[in-house]
Parts: sequence; structure tokens; C-alpha cells
Amino acid sequence: MIHTIAFYLFAAMVIASAMMVIFARNPVHSVMWLILSFFNAAGLMVLVGAEFIAMLLVIVYVGAVAVLFLFVVMMLDIDYAEMRAGFMRNMPLGLLIALILLAEIVLGIGAYRTGAIELGTPDGTGAAPLGASNIEAIGSLMFTRYVFLFEAAGIILLVAMIGAIVLTHLGSGPARGQQNVSRQNRRRPEEATRNVTPEIGKGIEL
Amino acid sequence: MVDLSQYLPILLFLGIAVVLSTAFVFLPMGVSRLTGSHKPDAEKLSEYECGFPAFEDSRGRFDVRFYLVAISFIIFDLEASFLFPWAVSLEYTGWTGWGAMMVFLAILGLGLAYEWKKGALDWE
Repeated sequence: MIHTIAFYLFAAMVIASAMMVIFARNPVHSVMWLILSFFNAAGLMVLVGAEFIAMLLVIVYVGAVAVLFLFVVMMLDIDYAEMRAGFMRNMPLGLLIALILLAEIVLGIGAYRTGAIELGTPDGTGAAPLGASNIEAIGSLMFTRYVFLFEAAGIILLVAMIGAIVLTHLGSGPARGQQNVSRQNRRRPEEATRNVTPEIGKGIEL
Repeated sequence: MVDLSQYLPILLFLGIAVVLSTAFVFLPMGVSRLTGSHKPDAEKLSEYECGFPAFEDSRGRFDVRFYLVAISFIIFDLEASFLFPWAVSLEYTGWTGWGAMMVFLAILGLGLAYEWKKGALDWE
């Protein structure tokens, strides 16, 4: 009962906030609606039993991807009025993308109706251990059977990191006001200060 | 299968949070609308900047280096979230899983070393 109510609540909120992503006039507000949509999708994932995916949605999508979107929106100097112009000109492209997405949804429903996905292989190497929790099942498959894909993900992340550095890091000249921490730590009072007892009437040599 | 009844307190808490935040947002609006006088005009609604008209759009451009920080954050966030299933499933994966994660960490460590050497971690 509560399960059903929660499902319809989360599903309605996902759809409503996804609509608001499109209809919000301000791109920053769009990103905020997107975050709400991610949260509700995480709720749906909990309902379907994929706890780890739900937590990942909150940590990675809400915590990192949404922030990245926000930075991109704020970094690009967009003239919102100009962006909205040319609606009729871009209409065919938009319709094409909408058709592709519709086809994907239809294909997805078709794939769903053919039955449950067979996890693992007949010899049992690809099956998750019985009775293990969600996160243990994911881990036991990801680091044995799908280890190659896991390492490939690492390579992709490396490429993303290096690409971001190459694209955004503007040439570093001699930095202004940079401190050399190890030199500061190596400095001792003996070499920095000097005790003198100057005679009266005479100066000291510096 | 996951025991969803564990999540019931979270759901209840979510409901309370929604009710409270809605009340906090709309109650002051409604009260001020009912008690105060509400006669907005163009001058009252214009933004106020020390008596001057606003110089420029309040939404300035961000420095591109924030983007670099965000990308690094995503990557190491993902790395950390891969560590959780690895840590709890080591009894099933054994040394293979351990080695796999070490290779993964080495790849990303390489990226971190590159980032550090390039000075992308320094703000300047």
C-alpha cells in the first residue's frame, strides 16, 4: 500500500520535475529541477530494490553532475532571449530528437515485455552470490566477471581528467605570491635571526 | 530482496520535511499578503543598487577553473563510490578483485599525478 503510494508519488514527481526542466525560463532553475528529478529517481531505485544505484544517484548525479551542469550554465555567457529565438528553424531537429527518444521508449517497453533479463551464464560464473546484499552482489560481479569493463571505466575517467586539464588549464606562468612550503618548513630560527649586543654610541652592521 | 520497511522512517521524515518546508515558504507569504498592504509598482519592484540603476546583469560568468574542479570532483567521487562495493565484496572476489581495484586506483593515481604536475590543483 505504502509502496504503491510512494511509487506513484516519486514517479509523478520525476515526470513533473522533468517537465519543469524543459519549461523553466531560467537555465539555473532548470538545473534545480533536474536535481529534484534525480532525487525522485533515487527514490524509485530504492523502491525497485537497487539501493546502491539509489545512493550512487544521490552522490554522483546530485552531488557532482548537477554541480557540473550548474557551472556550465553559469560559465557560458548565454543570452536567454537570443537562445529562444529561432524556434521554428530548430523545430525539425527537435522533432527528430523527440522521435528518437520516443522510439527508444517503445523499444525499452518491448524489451521489458519479453521477460526478465537472464543474469549470469549457464555455468554460474556470472551469477551474484545468493543471499548477498545489493552492494555485495554488485561488487562480486564487477570485480570478477566484468573486471575488464571496470578497468575500461578507469581509463575513460583518466581520459576525462586529462581532457579537462588540457582544455581548461590556461598556460601557467610564474605564479604570483606562490609559497614554497618545504623551504618554509626547513627554515630554522638560527639562520633567520641573530642576537647582537651593540656598544653604546655605535651602530650595528646589518 | 531488499527489505523496504527499513526505509519507512525515511519516507515519513521526507513527508514531514515537505510539509514543514512548504509551511515555511508559503506561510510568511500568505501572512504578509493578508496583513500588510500590497501595492507594487515599477519603482518598488526595480532592483536597488545604492541608488544607481543596476550596472550590469547580476549573473556574471564563472571562471573556467571551477569547471576543472568540478570535473576532478566527479572523477574522484566516482572512484570513492567504486570503493564501497569493492570493500564489502572482497570475500567473494578475493585477490582478483583486490588487484583489479589496485590497477584502477593506479590509473586514476596517474591522472592525479598529471593534474598535480600540470599545476591544475593550484588556484593562483
